Amino acid sequence: MDGIHDLGGKQGFGPIAVTESDPAFHEPWEGRLFAITQSVGDRSLSIDWFRNLIELMEPRSYLNEPYFQRWYFAMLTGLVQAGTFSMEEALGQGAEERNPPPPAMTLRDALARDRADCFDYSRPVAAVPRHAPGDVVRTRTHMQASHTRLPGYARGRQGSIIAHHGAHLLPDEGAMGRELAEHLYTVEFDAAELWGEEGQTGDTVTLDLWESYLVDT
Amino acid sequence: MAENDPHAAAHLHRHLHSHLPPDPALRVKALESLVVERGLVAPETLDAWVEVYAEHIGPKRGAQVIARAWTDPGFRARLLDNATDAIAEFDFVGNATGHLKAVENTDTQHNLVVCTLCSCYPFSILGMSPGWYKSAEYRARAVREPRKVLGEFGVSLAPEVSVRVWDSTAELRYLVVPQRPEGTEGWDEARLASIVTRNAMIGTDRDLRTEPA
Repeated sequence: MDGIHDLGGKQGFGPIAVTESDPAFHEPWEGRLFAITQSVGDRSLSIDWFRNLIELMEPRSYLNEPYFQRWYFAMLTGLVQAGTFSMEEALGQGAEERNPPPPAMTLRDALARDRADCFDYSRPVAAVPRHAPGDVVRTRTHMQASHTRLPGYARGRQGSIIAHHGAHLLPDEGAMGRELAEHLYTVEFDAAELWGEEGQTGDTVTLDLWESYLVDT
Repeated sequence: MAENDPHAAAHLHRHLHSHLPPDPALRVKALESLVVERGLVAPETLDAWVEVYAEHIGPKRGAQVIARAWTDPGFRARLLDNATDAIAEFDFVGNATGHLKAVENTDTQHNLVVCTLCSCYPFSILGMSPGWYKSAEYRARAVREPRKVLGEFGVSLAPEVSVRVWDSTAELRYLVVPQRPEGTEGWDEARLASIVTRNAMIGTDRDLRTEPA
Protein backbone atom coordinates (compact mmCIF):
# COMPACT_ATOMS: atom_id res chain seq x y z
CA MET A 1 0.00 0.00 0.00
CA ASP A 2 1.48 3.34 -1.06
CA GLY A 3 0.19 5.08 2.05
CA ILE A 4 1.34 8.16 3.90
CA HIS A 5 2.94 5.84 6.49
CA ASP A 6 5.66 4.94 3.97
CA LEU A 7 7.86 7.84 5.05
CA GLY A 8 11.37 6.61 4.27
CA GLY A 9 13.20 9.15 2.13
CA LYS A 10 10.36 11.70 2.00
CA GLN A 11 11.75 15.21 1.90
CA GLY A 12 10.61 18.44 3.47
CA PHE A 13 10.58 17.38 7.09
CA GLY A 14 12.50 19.63 9.46
CA PRO A 15 14.93 19.05 12.30
CA ILE A 16 14.48 16.22 14.76
CA ALA A 17 13.35 17.09 18.28
CA VAL A 18 16.34 15.44 19.92
CA THR A 19 16.04 14.14 23.47
CA GLU A 20 18.50 12.01 25.43
CA SER A 21 16.18 10.51 27.98
CA ASP A 22 12.45 10.62 28.43
CA PRO A 23 9.72 9.45 30.75
CA ALA A 24 8.06 6.30 29.41
CA PHE A 25 4.83 8.26 28.92
CA HIS A 26 4.79 12.01 28.38
CA GLU A 27 1.08 12.35 29.13
CA PRO A 28 -1.01 10.17 31.45
CA TRP A 29 -3.34 9.27 28.57
CA GLU A 30 -0.43 7.68 26.69
CA GLY A 31 0.14 5.22 29.52
CA ARG A 32 -3.58 4.45 29.84
CA LEU A 33 -3.91 3.87 26.09
CA PHE A 34 -0.82 1.67 25.97
CA ALA A 35 -2.20 -0.32 28.92
CA ILE A 36 -5.56 -0.76 27.17
CA THR A 37 -3.87 -2.06 24.03
CA GLN A 38 -1.92 -4.57 26.11
CA SER A 39 -4.97 -5.93 27.90
CA VAL A 40 -8.04 -5.53 25.66
CA GLY A 41 -8.88 -6.81 22.27
CA ASP A 42 -8.87 -9.87 20.19
CA ARG A 43 -5.41 -11.32 20.48
CA SER A 44 -6.02 -13.28 17.31
CA LEU A 45 -5.92 -9.94 15.53
CA SER A 46 -2.54 -10.11 13.86
CA ILE A 47 0.17 -7.51 14.28
CA ASP A 48 -0.02 -7.07 10.52
CA TRP A 49 -3.71 -6.20 10.50
CA PHE A 50 -3.11 -3.80 13.41
CA ARG A 51 -0.35 -2.07 11.41
CA ASN A 52 -2.57 -2.04 8.33
CA LEU A 53 -5.36 -0.45 10.39
CA ILE A 54 -2.97 2.35 11.33
CA GLU A 55 -1.98 2.80 7.69
CA LEU A 56 -5.64 3.07 6.71
CA MET A 57 -6.08 6.32 8.62
CA GLU A 58 -6.88 9.30 6.45
CA PRO A 59 -3.43 10.63 5.46
CA ARG A 60 -3.81 14.09 7.00
CA SER A 61 -4.99 12.54 10.25
CA TYR A 62 -2.08 10.09 10.18
CA LEU A 63 0.47 12.88 10.06
CA ASN A 64 -1.28 15.12 12.58
CA GLU A 65 -2.25 12.62 15.26
CA PRO A 66 0.34 11.67 17.90
CA TYR A 67 1.75 8.15 17.77
CA PHE A 68 -0.42 6.68 20.49
CA GLN A 69 -3.51 8.32 18.98
CA ARG A 70 -2.79 6.33 15.84
CA TRP A 71 -2.83 3.24 18.04
CA TYR A 72 -6.09 4.48 19.54
CA PHE A 73 -7.79 4.87 16.17
CA ALA A 74 -6.49 1.55 14.89
CA MET A 75 -7.67 -0.26 18.00
CA LEU A 76 -11.08 1.42 18.03
CA THR A 77 -11.59 0.82 14.32
CA GLY A 78 -10.61 -2.83 14.71
CA LEU A 79 -12.94 -3.33 17.68
CA VAL A 80 -15.89 -1.71 15.89
CA GLN A 81 -15.20 -3.72 12.77
CA ALA A 82 -14.99 -6.93 14.78
CA GLY A 83 -18.33 -6.11 16.42
CA THR A 84 -16.90 -5.79 19.93
CA PHE A 85 -18.21 -2.21 20.20
CA SER A 86 -21.09 -0.53 18.44
CA MET A 87 -20.38 2.76 16.70
CA GLU A 88 -22.33 4.55 19.44
CA GLU A 89 -20.16 2.98 22.13
CA ALA A 90 -17.00 3.88 20.22
CA LEU A 91 -18.18 7.48 20.02
CA GLY A 92 -18.46 7.66 23.80
CA GLN A 93 -22.19 7.37 24.24
CA GLY A 94 -21.89 4.85 27.06
CA ALA A 95 -21.66 1.09 27.38
CA GLU A 96 -24.67 -0.77 26.00
CA GLU A 97 -24.14 -3.63 28.41
CA ARG A 98 -22.35 -3.77 31.71
CA ASN A 99 -20.31 -6.72 32.89
CA PRO A 100 -18.30 -7.32 36.02
CA PRO A 101 -14.56 -6.84 35.52
CA PRO A 102 -12.30 -9.84 35.00
CA PRO A 103 -9.79 -10.61 37.75
CA ALA A 104 -7.29 -7.77 38.11
CA MET A 105 -3.69 -8.38 37.05
CA THR A 106 -0.98 -7.50 39.49
CA LEU A 107 2.33 -5.93 38.53
CA ARG A 108 3.87 -9.40 38.63
CA ASP A 109 1.14 -10.72 36.28
CA ALA A 110 1.73 -7.87 33.84
CA LEU A 111 5.48 -8.43 33.85
CA ALA A 112 4.86 -12.13 33.16
CA ARG A 113 2.51 -11.22 30.30
CA ASP A 114 5.13 -8.95 28.80
CA ARG A 115 7.62 -11.83 28.88
CA ALA A 116 5.03 -14.04 27.19
CA ASP A 117 4.52 -11.43 24.46
CA CYS A 118 7.76 -12.56 22.88
CA PHE A 119 6.37 -14.08 19.72
CA ASP A 120 8.16 -16.34 17.31
CA TYR A 121 7.23 -15.40 13.76
CA SER A 122 9.35 -18.09 12.15
CA ARG A 123 7.62 -21.12 10.66
CA PRO A 124 8.93 -24.31 9.09
CA VAL A 125 8.39 -24.44 5.33
CA ALA A 126 9.07 -27.14 2.78
CA ALA A 127 10.25 -24.67 0.16
CA VAL A 128 13.99 -24.45 -0.38
CA PRO A 129 15.30 -20.87 -0.11
CA ARG A 130 15.91 -19.33 -3.52
CA HIS A 131 18.71 -17.13 -2.23
CA ALA A 132 21.72 -17.28 0.04
CA PRO A 133 23.99 -14.69 1.63
CA GLY A 134 26.16 -13.11 -1.05
CA ASP A 135 23.47 -13.24 -3.72
CA VAL A 136 22.67 -10.08 -5.61
CA VAL A 137 18.93 -9.52 -5.86
CA ARG A 138 16.53 -6.87 -7.07
CA THR A 139 13.35 -5.82 -5.31
CA ARG A 140 9.98 -5.73 -7.01
CA THR A 141 8.92 -2.45 -8.57
CA HIS A 142 5.20 -2.78 -7.93
CA MET A 143 3.35 -4.09 -4.90
CA GLN A 144 -0.32 -4.76 -4.31
CA ALA A 145 -2.69 -2.11 -2.95
CA SER A 146 -3.02 -3.91 0.39
CA HIS A 147 -0.51 -4.16 3.23
CA THR A 148 3.15 -4.81 2.50
CA ARG A 149 6.47 -4.21 4.20
CA LEU A 150 8.50 -3.31 1.13
CA PRO A 151 8.87 0.48 1.41
CA GLY A 152 8.57 2.62 -1.70
CA TYR A 153 12.14 3.90 -1.49
CA ALA A 154 13.55 0.37 -1.82
CA ARG A 155 11.47 -0.84 -4.78
CA GLY A 156 13.15 -1.80 -8.03
CA ARG A 157 16.58 -1.56 -6.39
CA GLN A 158 19.52 -3.91 -6.40
CA GLY A 159 21.09 -5.13 -3.19
CA SER A 160 23.02 -7.99 -1.63
CA ILE A 161 21.71 -10.59 0.75
CA ILE A 162 23.68 -10.52 3.99
CA ALA A 163 21.56 -12.92 6.07
CA HIS A 164 18.88 -15.58 5.73
CA HIS A 165 16.53 -15.99 8.69
CA GLY A 166 14.59 -19.09 7.67
CA ALA A 167 10.92 -18.56 6.88
CA HIS A 168 8.80 -15.98 8.71
CA LEU A 169 5.10 -15.18 8.47
CA LEU A 170 4.45 -12.90 5.51
CA PRO A 171 2.79 -9.63 6.64
CA ASP A 172 1.02 -9.18 3.32
CA GLU A 173 -0.97 -12.32 4.11
CA GLY A 174 -1.18 -11.72 7.85
CA ALA A 175 -2.98 -8.44 7.26
CA MET A 176 -5.63 -10.38 5.36
CA GLY A 177 -6.06 -12.78 8.26
CA ARG A 178 -4.12 -15.58 6.60
CA GLU A 179 -0.93 -17.39 7.58
CA LEU A 180 1.73 -17.99 4.99
CA ALA A 181 5.45 -18.21 5.69
CA GLU A 182 8.21 -17.31 3.27
CA HIS A 183 11.96 -17.18 3.48
CA LEU A 184 13.16 -13.90 4.99
CA TYR A 185 16.45 -12.21 4.16
CA THR A 186 18.35 -9.14 5.26
CA VAL A 187 19.25 -7.24 2.09
CA GLU A 188 21.84 -4.49 2.06
CA PHE A 189 21.59 -1.62 -0.43
CA ASP A 190 24.31 0.89 -1.24
CA ALA A 191 23.21 4.40 -0.37
CA ALA A 192 23.97 5.47 -3.93
CA GLU A 193 21.65 2.76 -5.30
CA LEU A 194 18.81 4.24 -3.26
CA TRP A 195 19.60 7.95 -3.37
CA GLY A 196 21.92 8.53 -6.30
CA GLU A 197 24.65 11.10 -5.81
CA GLU A 198 23.27 11.99 -2.38
CA GLY A 199 24.38 8.61 -1.06
CA GLN A 200 27.87 8.49 0.37
CA THR A 201 30.15 5.69 -0.82
CA GLY A 202 30.36 2.99 1.81
CA ASP A 203 27.08 3.90 3.48
CA THR A 204 24.32 1.32 3.25
CA VAL A 205 20.72 0.69 4.25
CA THR A 206 19.53 -2.79 5.15
CA LEU A 207 15.96 -4.07 5.06
CA ASP A 208 14.45 -7.39 6.08
CA LEU A 209 12.62 -8.64 3.01
CA TRP A 210 10.57 -11.71 2.16
CA GLU A 211 11.31 -13.86 -0.84
CA SER A 212 8.29 -12.70 -2.85
CA TYR A 213 9.55 -9.11 -2.56
CA LEU A 214 12.60 -10.09 -4.59
CA VAL A 215 13.20 -10.89 -8.23
CA ASP A 216 16.25 -12.57 -9.73
CA THR A 217 18.78 -10.34 -11.37
CA MET B 1 -19.14 -6.14 7.84
CA ALA B 2 -16.29 -8.44 6.94
CA GLU B 3 -13.22 -8.45 9.13
CA ASN B 4 -9.95 -7.30 7.58
CA ASP B 5 -11.83 -5.24 5.02
CA PRO B 6 -9.49 -2.33 4.31
CA HIS B 7 -12.12 -0.26 2.51
CA ALA B 8 -14.54 -0.57 5.42
CA ALA B 9 -11.76 0.16 7.91
CA ALA B 10 -10.80 3.35 6.09
CA HIS B 11 -14.44 4.43 6.13
CA LEU B 12 -14.71 3.70 9.86
CA HIS B 13 -11.55 5.69 10.52
CA ARG B 14 -12.94 8.74 8.77
CA HIS B 15 -16.27 8.44 10.56
CA LEU B 16 -14.69 8.03 13.99
CA HIS B 17 -12.18 10.80 13.41
CA SER B 18 -14.81 13.31 12.37
CA HIS B 19 -17.12 12.52 15.30
CA LEU B 20 -14.74 12.12 18.24
CA PRO B 21 -13.52 15.01 20.41
CA PRO B 22 -10.10 16.33 19.36
CA ASP B 23 -8.55 16.08 22.83
CA PRO B 24 -6.55 12.82 23.14
CA ALA B 25 -7.03 12.69 26.91
CA LEU B 26 -10.83 12.87 26.55
CA ARG B 27 -10.83 10.19 23.86
CA VAL B 28 -8.78 7.80 25.97
CA LYS B 29 -10.80 8.52 29.11
CA ALA B 30 -14.00 7.58 27.28
CA LEU B 31 -12.37 4.43 25.91
CA GLU B 32 -11.15 3.42 29.36
CA SER B 33 -14.64 3.90 30.79
CA LEU B 34 -16.08 1.78 28.01
CA VAL B 35 -13.67 -1.13 28.35
CA VAL B 36 -14.09 -1.14 32.13
CA GLU B 37 -17.90 -0.91 32.04
CA ARG B 38 -18.09 -3.65 29.46
CA GLY B 39 -16.05 -5.85 31.78
CA LEU B 40 -13.15 -6.26 29.36
CA VAL B 41 -10.47 -5.20 31.82
CA ALA B 42 -10.11 -4.26 35.48
CA PRO B 43 -8.80 -0.71 36.12
CA GLU B 44 -6.08 -2.17 38.37
CA THR B 45 -4.79 -4.14 35.40
CA LEU B 46 -4.29 -0.89 33.49
CA ASP B 47 -2.44 0.56 36.48
CA ALA B 48 -0.17 -2.50 36.48
CA TRP B 49 0.66 -2.11 32.78
CA VAL B 50 1.54 1.55 33.22
CA GLU B 51 3.80 0.64 36.13
CA VAL B 52 5.54 -2.07 34.10
CA TYR B 53 6.83 0.42 31.54
CA ALA B 54 7.07 3.48 33.78
CA GLU B 55 9.14 1.74 36.44
CA HIS B 56 10.44 -1.68 35.45
CA ILE B 57 11.14 -2.04 31.73
CA GLY B 58 13.40 0.59 30.20
CA PRO B 59 16.80 1.31 28.67
CA LYS B 60 18.60 0.33 31.88
CA ARG B 61 17.97 -3.24 30.80
CA GLY B 62 19.76 -2.72 27.51
CA ALA B 63 22.60 -0.93 29.27
CA GLN B 64 23.17 -3.95 31.53
CA VAL B 65 23.36 -6.18 28.47
CA ILE B 66 25.91 -3.90 26.78
CA ALA B 67 28.05 -3.72 29.92
CA ARG B 68 28.11 -7.52 30.10
CA ALA B 69 29.11 -7.73 26.43
CA TRP B 70 32.02 -5.36 27.14
CA THR B 71 33.32 -7.38 30.05
CA ASP B 72 32.55 -10.98 29.09
CA PRO B 73 33.82 -12.10 25.65
CA GLY B 74 31.75 -15.27 25.80
CA PHE B 75 28.58 -13.29 26.40
CA ARG B 76 29.51 -10.83 23.64
CA ALA B 77 29.82 -13.75 21.22
CA ARG B 78 26.47 -15.16 22.30
CA LEU B 79 24.84 -11.72 22.00
CA LEU B 80 26.09 -11.23 18.46
CA ASP B 81 25.11 -14.78 17.53
CA ASN B 82 21.55 -14.73 18.92
CA ALA B 83 20.57 -11.71 20.97
CA THR B 84 17.20 -13.13 22.01
CA ASP B 85 18.87 -16.13 23.63
CA ALA B 86 21.54 -13.89 25.16
CA ILE B 87 19.14 -11.46 26.84
CA ALA B 88 17.20 -14.45 28.14
CA GLU B 89 20.16 -14.86 30.50
CA PHE B 90 18.87 -11.65 32.16
CA ASP B 91 15.19 -12.65 31.83
CA PHE B 92 14.74 -9.61 29.56
CA VAL B 93 13.00 -11.35 26.64
CA GLY B 94 9.45 -10.11 26.05
CA ASN B 95 7.43 -7.72 23.95
CA ALA B 96 9.05 -7.35 20.50
CA THR B 97 12.32 -9.12 21.29
CA GLY B 98 11.55 -12.59 19.96
CA HIS B 99 13.91 -11.99 17.03
CA LEU B 100 16.49 -9.60 18.45
CA LYS B 101 19.70 -8.89 16.52
CA ALA B 102 22.67 -7.10 18.10
CA VAL B 103 24.84 -5.05 15.72
CA GLU B 104 28.21 -3.82 16.85
CA ASN B 105 29.85 -0.47 16.14
CA THR B 106 33.52 -0.53 15.17
CA ASP B 107 36.19 2.04 14.35
CA THR B 108 35.00 1.98 10.73
CA GLN B 109 31.29 1.13 11.03
CA HIS B 110 28.40 2.91 12.71
CA ASN B 111 24.96 1.36 13.02
CA LEU B 112 21.69 3.29 13.13
CA VAL B 113 18.21 1.81 13.65
CA VAL B 114 14.93 3.13 12.28
CA CYS B 115 11.51 1.83 11.32
CA THR B 116 10.36 3.89 8.35
CA LEU B 117 6.97 2.16 7.99
CA CYS B 118 5.74 2.41 11.58
CA SER B 119 7.95 2.68 14.64
CA CYS B 120 9.02 -0.86 15.52
CA TYR B 121 11.15 -0.92 18.66
CA PRO B 122 12.49 -3.64 20.99
CA PHE B 123 10.24 -2.73 23.93
CA SER B 124 11.26 -5.36 26.46
CA ILE B 125 14.93 -4.37 26.31
CA LEU B 126 14.71 -0.56 25.77
CA GLY B 127 11.26 0.34 27.11
CA MET B 128 8.96 2.84 25.43
CA SER B 129 10.50 4.48 22.38
CA PRO B 130 11.44 8.17 22.42
CA GLY B 131 9.18 10.69 20.72
CA TRP B 132 11.75 11.52 18.06
CA TYR B 133 12.07 7.85 17.08
CA LYS B 134 8.35 7.85 16.24
CA SER B 135 8.43 11.22 14.47
CA ALA B 136 7.93 11.66 10.73
CA GLU B 137 11.19 13.63 10.68
CA TYR B 138 13.31 10.73 11.93
CA ARG B 139 11.48 8.06 9.94
CA ALA B 140 11.74 10.02 6.70
CA ARG B 141 15.31 11.24 7.04
CA ALA B 142 17.28 8.47 8.81
CA VAL B 143 17.53 6.27 5.72
CA ARG B 144 18.25 9.10 3.28
CA GLU B 145 20.56 11.45 5.16
CA PRO B 146 21.81 9.53 8.20
CA ARG B 147 24.88 11.73 8.62
CA LYS B 148 22.78 14.89 8.84
CA VAL B 149 20.44 13.17 11.28
CA LEU B 150 23.40 12.06 13.39
CA GLY B 151 24.73 15.60 13.30
CA GLU B 152 21.53 16.84 14.92
CA PHE B 153 22.22 14.38 17.73
CA GLY B 154 25.73 15.78 18.09
CA VAL B 155 27.41 12.83 16.39
CA SER B 156 29.99 13.77 13.79
CA LEU B 157 31.37 10.80 11.86
CA ALA B 158 34.80 10.79 10.29
CA PRO B 159 34.70 10.10 6.54
CA GLU B 160 36.30 6.67 7.02
CA VAL B 161 33.42 5.57 9.24
CA SER B 162 30.60 4.14 7.14
CA VAL B 163 26.99 4.11 8.24
CA ARG B 164 24.74 1.09 8.05
CA VAL B 165 21.09 2.01 8.62
CA TRP B 166 18.84 -0.86 9.70
CA ASP B 167 15.23 -0.31 8.60
CA SER B 168 13.16 -2.72 10.74
CA THR B 169 10.73 -3.91 8.09
CA ALA B 170 10.10 -7.41 9.53
CA GLU B 171 9.81 -8.75 13.09
CA LEU B 172 13.55 -8.57 13.67
CA ARG B 173 14.48 -5.86 16.12
CA TYR B 174 17.91 -4.30 16.37
CA LEU B 175 20.09 -3.36 19.32
CA VAL B 176 23.24 -1.36 18.64
CA VAL B 177 26.28 -2.37 20.69
CA PRO B 178 28.29 0.84 21.15
CA GLN B 179 32.06 0.83 21.57
CA ARG B 180 33.46 0.76 25.08
CA PRO B 181 35.12 4.12 25.70
CA GLU B 182 38.74 4.45 26.68
CA GLY B 183 39.39 5.20 30.30
CA THR B 184 36.95 2.60 31.59
CA GLU B 185 39.50 -0.14 32.21
CA GLY B 186 38.76 -1.94 35.42
CA TRP B 187 35.22 -0.63 35.75
CA ASP B 188 32.63 -3.13 36.97
CA GLU B 189 29.46 -3.90 35.02
CA ALA B 190 27.24 -1.58 37.03
CA ARG B 191 29.53 1.39 36.48
CA LEU B 192 29.84 0.58 32.79
CA ALA B 193 26.07 0.25 32.43
CA SER B 194 25.65 3.73 33.90
CA ILE B 195 27.33 5.34 30.88
CA VAL B 196 25.42 3.44 28.17
CA THR B 197 22.78 5.78 26.80
CA ARG B 198 19.47 4.79 25.27
CA ASN B 199 20.35 6.70 22.12
CA ALA B 200 23.63 4.79 21.77
CA MET B 201 21.64 1.55 21.65
CA ILE B 202 19.50 3.00 18.81
CA GLY B 203 22.58 4.45 17.12
CA THR B 204 21.95 8.18 17.53
CA ASP B 205 24.78 8.45 20.05
CA ARG B 206 28.30 7.08 19.46
CA ASP B 207 31.15 8.26 21.69
CA LEU B 208 29.94 7.54 25.20
CA ARG B 209 30.92 9.98 27.93
CA THR B 210 32.75 8.60 30.92
CA GLU B 211 31.72 11.50 33.12
CA PRO B 212 28.30 13.05 33.70
CA ALA B 213 27.48 15.77 31.18
